[in-house]
Amino acid sequence: MDILSIGRIAGTLSTWWWLLLSLAFFLYIATDGTDLGAGIFALFSKDEEERGAIMASMAGMWDGNESWLVVAGGVLFGAFPLVYGSAFNYLMIPLMFALWGIIARAVAFEFHIHAKKSKRFWGWAFAVGSLFPTFFAGVALGATLQGFPMKSGLAMQSALAAHGVNVHDYMTPVMHFSGGILDFLTPFSIWTGVGAVIAASLAGGLYLCARFIPGDPIHERARSWTNVVSLLALAAIVITLIWSYAIFPWASAKWTGSDWWVWLIWFVIVLIFAFKSSTNHSARRDFSAMMWGIGVVALLWAAMWATIFPYVVPNTWTIVQAANPADSIAVFTLFMTGFFPIMIMYNWYQIWVFRGRFSKKMAYGAH
Amino acid sequence: MVIENSLPILLSRLDFAWITSMHILWTPMTIGMSWLLFIMEVAWLRTGDERWYKINRFVEKIFIINFGAGVATGVTMEMAFGILYGPFSQAVGPFFGNILGFETITAFMYEAGFIGLMVFGWGKISKGMHLFATFNVGLSSSLSAMWILVANSWMQTPDGIFLKNGLFQVKNWWQAIFNDNFQWGFPHMWVACVELALFALVGLSGFFILKNRNADLFTKLLKPTLLALIIVTPVQIFIGDSIGRVVAQTQPTSLAAMEGHYHTYLPDGKVNTGWHLIAIPNAKNDGNVFAITIPHVLSLLETHTLNGKVTGMDSFPAKDRPDVWVPFYSFRVMVAIGFFLFFIAIWGNWLRLRGKLNATELRKRPWFLRALVFSAFLPYLAIWCGWWTREIGRQPWVVNGLMRTYQGASHMPVAMEIIWFVGYIIFELAVWSGSWYFFTRVIKKGVDDIPDSSTLFDHDHADDADVKAGGGHVTPTFASKPMLRSDR
Repeated sequence: MDILSIGRIAGTLSTWWWLLLSLAFFLYIATDGTDLGAGIFALFSKDEEERGAIMASMAGMWDGNESWLVVAGGVLFGAFPLVYGSAFNYLMIPLMFALWGIIARAVAFEFHIHAKKSKRFWGWAFAVGSLFPTFFAGVALGATLQGFPMKSGLAMQSALAAHGVNVHDYMTPVMHFSGGILDFLTPFSIWTGVGAVIAASLAGGLYLCARFIPGDPIHERARSWTNVVSLLALAAIVITLIWSYAIFPWASAKWTGSDWWVWLIWFVIVLIFAFKSSTNHSARRDFSAMMWGIGVVALLWAAMWATIFPYVVPNTWTIVQAANPADSIAVFTLFMTGFFPIMIMYNWYQIWVFRGRFSKKMAYGAH
Repeated sequence: MVIENSLPILLSRLDFAWITSMHILWTPMTIGMSWLLFIMEVAWLRTGDERWYKINRFVEKIFIINFGAGVATGVTMEMAFGILYGPFSQAVGPFFGNILGFETITAFMYEAGFIGLMVFGWGKISKGMHLFATFNVGLSSSLSAMWILVANSWMQTPDGIFLKNGLFQVKNWWQAIFNDNFQWGFPHMWVACVELALFALVGLSGFFILKNRNADLFTKLLKPTLLALIIVTPVQIFIGDSIGRVVAQTQPTSLAAMEGHYHTYLPDGKVNTGWHLIAIPNAKNDGNVFAITIPHVLSLLETHTLNGKVTGMDSFPAKDRPDVWVPFYSFRVMVAIGFFLFFIAIWGNWLRLRGKLNATELRKRPWFLRALVFSAFLPYLAIWCGWWTREIGRQPWVVNGLMRTYQGASHMPVAMEIIWFVGYIIFELAVWSGSWYFFTRVIKKGVDDIPDSSTLFDHDHADDADVKAGGGHVTPTFASKPMLRSDR
């Protein structure tokens, strides 16, 4: 086979962008997951001062973390527009709720500081605005794993026909989403939503332990919170794996195939990371505990993408089917790849600058 | 009735129109004001005049609230192409998707990075480095505007592509990027951003002089701003005329809708050269019920000759005609605002020539000052009207001449479209009213509590200043220092 054939190069580049897409989503989950989790923690805060302190602890970096989501969206549109245009249509309702949460949360950051009478309201907007994107992003992920129905032709045909307009003139080979708007809603996708909330809660707890001075009320509460949630998280991982094994043939075939031992070793490594996180947490090495925890997420995320391969959306879009034509993907690669290391360096620098522990009083005072 | 006006497609258009209209309220200020902040910073560094520093820091507070609102509404924008116009996003992916990808990756990375330095970096990084950061905020936001205009202009004049396998694939990147509409469309939008930012400064000056607060400071600001406007406002009118002629050549239906121009020829066979000041289009969209018409003006405007032929709506089948109401009136409002702002610039400079541009003289002319405050709001309306003209004039196409809007709309029932619309009315209005509330708070506080620039590198004071600069955020610290101090 000609190693320089256009088809081969395009296939390689598309796979490269599939990896970068995975990276962008992972960076979003890893960085903003802690912020969102801390917001979920704030749902249970008894006073506004505590919510304010939690918000202040992430004031300098939450927007930088969140911009990874925007980058992931940009990569999806730039490299896999066929997925972008169909999956987002399929995920309309969960994305809509997640976006409302994101808007409410972004606004709450600004308003909570200045508000006097409505402080409580904006504190809640922040907390609920953290819960919504987490839950609905989890739902969207679970729904995506299930795949969705597609057909070619006119997307709005049925809605138009319901209003007495019949159109039959539009022919296109492009496959678009053709299911109902509630197709995303299944027991599994609701479970992944719950799972995402549990995972973020754990990340948020670890983050708050690392962010606040030991002995501070927030630190102490976050400690006991983390102890409880970590057990939930472990259970959630096991349940998700078994459930996926049961309902996704593409997953079970891979996991029990000839390379079963790789998956097993991988799972053992995940357990080791979880154990390290837990021991570091007990030993009050909070930053290490958080990093091991993020390591667990990285390992599971990588395993998920490896299981999905060669699909972007299981049983719906493969990388090759979904990718842009060769010259578009080449242009995208040429101009955009170099920005990734720069973005990572910038985001790291931002987090580095805002490191250091807070106490509740101090954070609230500066808030 | 064209399919684009049937309820499911109309709602789909309305959903998208609402979120874009609410997003364009924020971005022009970021794009235009970042350059003005840069110029003011240069003025401060070159002259050492403290007043430039104070104004810069004051305007920066407004800038950062505005930026936050732009991000909050922009995240939705980015996702909305796929959610509301999925089949369109798929078909145009090879070009349009790439360009939007360029925009998100370069603009977010680049702009977000330097904005952090610009807002939080005062006193922490050297003056030269800070100036460099401000410059890059200007450059990156203008780059972002360029990519967005590349994408949108291409929808007006889809050059450099060919249709294969249902996808608009790129034949010539150069032609596709520098398409016909882009060449004047981008300058028109970019100058609009600068004009908006200049009028925001002018409006602020008018307000403060009117209230007799820091009147000397704001008179100082008013002079160069008005001088810039006497150049910018007529240039914008000239660019507007130029893009009008591009539209006349490349999108004759859009131009005909903007002018309510239904008939290429009059009943007696002569060329229809009449320009309507006011028109009421009929329900069938094939003529005007009523119009006030001036002969020859339309030909003069579009062909620069007295009797040149301008193609009317009747040269196209009914299913290819856009609605006239919105393009016709929003175009007129935009043009009227353009000339009114030119007039304001003339008025201000005329006062200057007569030596009246000082606090005492200006305060004797409250109507001039009120007109300045009023003018600060008009560019927003003009930009809205311009985009409505552009987008509704292109109907019934989403990609001009190649893809109809109903072909690009996502699969969804009417009930869902209504839920989306109502939800976004609530959330976008919350962002809008909240931001305006904070603008008024910042303006109320004024410039007096901004510490002198001499405190910048004196860290005991700099900390207080920075808490304010971030809209009250915790001091971003390069940050361990202030925290450690409180620890002790």
